[in-house]
Amino acid sequence: MSMDIDLAAFAGTDPIYVITEEVFTAMIDGEEGYLRHWDGPDPVFVDPMHAWVDVNGTTSGRVLLTTERGTADKLARALLQMTPDEPVSPEDFVDALGEVANVVGGNVKSLVPEPGVLTLPQVTQDRPPTLPDALIYELALDWRGSALVISLWKLP
Amino acid sequence: MTLANDSFLFVSDLVRRRSAIQLEAGKEYLVESRLLPLARTAGAADVDAYVRSLRAAPSPAALEAVVEALTTNETSWFRDAQPFQALTGHVVPSLLEGGLPGFAPSLRVWSAACSSGQEPYSIAMALADVVPPQSLRITATDLNEKMLTRGRQGRYSQLEVNRGLPAPMLVKHFVRVGADWEIAPQLKQAVTFQRHNLLDAPPSGGPFDVVFLRNVLIYFDIATKRDVLRKVQGVLRPGGYLLLGAAETTIGVDEGWERVPVGRGSVYRRTARRAA
Amino acid sequence: MRALVIDDSRTMRRIVSGVLGSMGFETVEAGDGRQALDVLESGTEIDLACIDWNMPVMNGLEFVTSVRQNREWRDMTLMMVTTESEQGQIVRALAAGAHEYLIKPFTPDAVRDKLQLLGLVDLEESA
Repeated sequence: MSMDIDLAAFAGTDPIYVITEEVFTAMIDGEEGYLRHWDGPDPVFVDPMHAWVDVNGTTSGRVLLTTERGTADKLARALLQMTPDEPVSPEDFVDALGEVANVVGGNVKSLVPEPGVLTLPQVTQDRPPTLPDALIYELALDWRGSALVISLWKLP
Repeated sequence: MTLANDSFLFVSDLVRRRSAIQLEAGKEYLVESRLLPLARTAGAADVDAYVRSLRAAPSPAALEAVVEALTTNETSWFRDAQPFQALTGHVVPSLLEGGLPGFAPSLRVWSAACSSGQEPYSIAMALADVVPPQSLRITATDLNEKMLTRGRQGRYSQLEVNRGLPAPMLVKHFVRVGADWEIAPQLKQAVTFQRHNLLDAPPSGGPFDVVFLRNVLIYFDIATKRDVLRKVQGVLRPGGYLLLGAAETTIGVDEGWERVPVGRGSVYRRTARRAA
Repeated sequence: MRALVIDDSRTMRRIVSGVLGSMGFETVEAGDGRQALDVLESGTEIDLACIDWNMPVMNGLEFVTSVRQNREWRDMTLMMVTTESEQGQIVRALAAGAHEYLIKPFTPDAVRDKLQLLGLVDLEESA
């Protein structure tokens, strides 16, 4: 995947924000309005969860979702349509988070003209290793008051 | 920044009265998110301040903007399916064989109350295989300038194109633009968007062969319904067709129409002679 | 009516099965194209298959191609449910024999709309 997504070409609307908003509207919240841009200093995560997919093509990139563990739990529950008191198994939690990364990542992949192959999603507590200059794009979001960061990384 | 309770109640009451949509307790965050852009444009410190200023000096336009921001307009493509099947399966063949001047130079369709454009573009897509694009002239009208702008741009989100649009039509008539899909230029050319109030004199672009006036008359009283239908008759060719919403009819409302059952529904043909 | 939900994500299978279930479908799940073919080959009658594209062992496109080669399954409706949303990908899937294509993310209403287009759900049933 060529990471040269010319974001400026999309007439002022950030397509990655649009994609994320659609994922949340359609599958997590059921309606628009619970996701907005993060207002204020960059969020700092105390106990983060990371979920990502890689796109392998002419050049390769990673679409990474990072959020607080508690937020990740709420996300998984919302996607699985489970109430706060229902137990979410670790497998369900990982699968749900991975699916969010998969749907966001898959749609980001569709933004670029070159064909690319999406890897299976990965979900970890440790930040995935990346090279220092590899960050191409970062979007800090506010979902129901909690922070969520989407970032795009160039892969070697 | 949380919305004060009385501000929330004001907004939810307004929305309920105008749209019957209920915003129960728990939706404060939603209301705030949706109204934030309006508050920013108005230069208010936050949504709460914006709502307070609105209550102090309510303007119809601002109230309307608030209601619009909180009610999602779910329009789908080829809504109800049947009218579009009737269009290609019955209406167009009938117009061709009915001895009308044919489509020289064009088949003229009016899509009234077209909203963000799904209906006129659905008409264009349905007719694309039956009528050459250069012979198709669709006039799409609406009162709302924002909707007209959307229609002219012809750009729809992935969620919007998932709604009732057959996949073969998507790949044939749209191009991807970022995360969105935009109507291809050739099809866009067939549709002209015009601001128009149904209570005024009819729009330019006629006389029409077909008029789509779907799910609009229900908002009017019977006298206004009749008035609108008469105006439509005035710009519809004798033998031309009117397509209404599934639950609507001209029967008992206006003379000069012949009901033609087609499939599960009906279309209405303008009779050449009007009753006195 | 019975639907076969094919996706390597358990979450997605759950979501799709849930939506179809609420519309009166009985659902069977498979984690990849090969498992899905096993279900069909075992004789289970399937009216509708909802198929993810990217799956291990056998992907959705390969599954569609296999199904369309078998005359026994010619009445089965095939709908892709995937994030692959490039124009070229959609064309490929339709050319391979998929009847419809639903892009992720989708809403329950979008599923209903597609099923109405396919004649699997009556228009009168819509809310």
